[in-house]
Amino acid sequence: MAQSDATTSQPTASSLGAMPTGRRWNKLRAAVEGYLYLTPTLIGLTLFVFWPIVSSLNLSLQRISPFGNRFRYVGLDNYIKTLTSPDYWETVRVTLFFVLGTVPTGLILSVALAIALAYPLGRMDPVYRTLIFVPVVISSAVTGVLFKWLYHPVVGYINYGLLQLGFIQTMQEGPNWFADKTWALVAVIVATTWRQLGFNVIVALAGVQNIDESYYDAAKVDGANAWQRIRHITLPLISPTLFFLLIINVIYSFQAFGEIDVLTQGGPGRATTNMVYSIYRIAFVDARDRGLASAQAYLLALMILIMSYIQFATVNKRVHYQ
Amino acid sequence: MSTVTTIAKIRPRRIDRTGLTIHLFLLITGLLISTPIIIAFFTSFKEPNQIVTYPPYLLPKHWTFANYATAWTATPFGRHLLNSTIQSGAIVIFQVAFSVSAAYAFANLEFPGRDWLFYLVIGSLMVPFELVFIPNFVFISSIGWANTYQGLVAPFMASAFGVFMLRQFFLTVPKELHDAAKIDGASNWRYMWQILVPVSKGSIGAFAIFAFLSAWNQYLWPLIITNSDQMRTLQIGIRFFMNTLERGADWGPIMAGSMIAMGPTLVIFLVAQRQLVKGIAMTGLKG
Repeated sequence: MAQSDATTSQPTASSLGAMPTGRRWNKLRAAVEGYLYLTPTLIGLTLFVFWPIVSSLNLSLQRISPFGNRFRYVGLDNYIKTLTSPDYWETVRVTLFFVLGTVPTGLILSVALAIALAYPLGRMDPVYRTLIFVPVVISSAVTGVLFKWLYHPVVGYINYGLLQLGFIQTMQEGPNWFADKTWALVAVIVATTWRQLGFNVIVALAGVQNIDESYYDAAKVDGANAWQRIRHITLPLISPTLFFLLIINVIYSFQAFGEIDVLTQGGPGRATTNMVYSIYRIAFVDARDRGLASAQAYLLALMILIMSYIQFATVNKRVHYQ
Repeated sequence: MSTVTTIAKIRPRRIDRTGLTIHLFLLITGLLISTPIIIAFFTSFKEPNQIVTYPPYLLPKHWTFANYATAWTATPFGRHLLNSTIQSGAIVIFQVAFSVSAAYAFANLEFPGRDWLFYLVIGSLMVPFELVFIPNFVFISSIGWANTYQGLVAPFMASAFGVFMLRQFFLTVPKELHDAAKIDGASNWRYMWQILVPVSKGSIGAFAIFAFLSAWNQYLWPLIITNSDQMRTLQIGIRFFMNTLERGADWGPIMAGSMIAMGPTLVIFLVAQRQLVKGIAMTGLKG
């Protein structure tokens, strides 16, 4: 979109030299002005995004004392130490399990809700929207606190609900959410999926509403039923939105932190310590070894990059762009 | 447009089974989704001895503000509220000002390297925060900004997302407006503030709301960069508050604290839902 107007009046190097001084002065002034408008943003991004990419790499090659005052270059030691540690691979396993637990459920639920919300709902429309969108404004910290209360093993609403629905006979039979390794991970997955749902439904609904009404009219003429219309019109036409949601959700799940810190602090044992939580603990809580933590941060970034690449290479082919 | 849809809606219809199923599905799922917040709301108004009960029940028998009073005095929630307000307010102001000016340059001005710089800015969106937060912590600490407002705000003053979103919008503003302003002798600076910004206030507002929410709800950075109760934001305050009170099972004040922490964002959600949804939907459609 921008390329066309960017190239129209840009002078080549030779024409610049041949220009009268007045015009050249104006060009120079315009260029300087453009850069001035960008300066605050570029300084901010350079200091806090671009430069840290380099300095993080440098940190990952150092052995750093806990107070951060002594550095020693150790080459790839931190990476070797990480990749040969069973604890690290456990965090990778937890991370992947977490992604598998949150992303598919979140996407399926949000598409179903988006399709339902796109139906003409009359006066109830804003009510449903409010009830369903609301998690989008809740923070990960508050989500953690709310679910900690809901998961209470003795008087919690969730176990009480399971009891009422007949899944368990007494409250004692219900899962002791944060003492059990598997249930603790499930608990964190449910809480995170819940918070992410508001965002997902909003984006998915925008995708559904973006579909031109005429496609449905044509399908109705052809006698397609509701399910056929969803299957052959809605889903293919929102596939770019779904693909965007898939990528974003996988990245977000890789970065889950707040709910874990509030609900389980990585426990019991290391059952909910994902890669990010491990980086945080190593850098700021346990060993305070920021060299080792930086190496793990690099490995995490690399993994996110690879995952995104795989999705682009495999899923993107099946996305239907209009 | 609304008249057309209204006519379609009031037209009498047969009892539509699909419609009924959809209404039921939305009502039940909607209530389930908002349950955690509804429970927190009612719990925060229950009397302390009615909170941990079996079986649990929803509505308070007697409404009381006691939990809010306890939360407010047991921990400096007032101070946390002030900290969050300053931190989020500053972040929003900087992000809006910086993004408007950069987006304007990318959309309307011509200078060498413009497109290349734009891709650089967009590229920064792909960098996960985990990759940069340790060096940022080291840097902010080394200049003595740990545990200060500057330290909370500085890493988030520039927003690549804001630049991208506003540039996309500025590109839709007719170029003739810019030319006309120039002919009238307005400088670029004046055009930006007196014409472009007022014309785009819907989009800028949507971005500002979005920026406020992300700033207010931040967790990892405020957690590591603050180390005293006096400098913590609400999100971090509620975490420490819960950890100290949990053993005493003091859930009333904890829920009151949660209501304080999510209050401002809930209010924004209820009064500015349309702009908020617009801002979020834009992330999906343009991506």
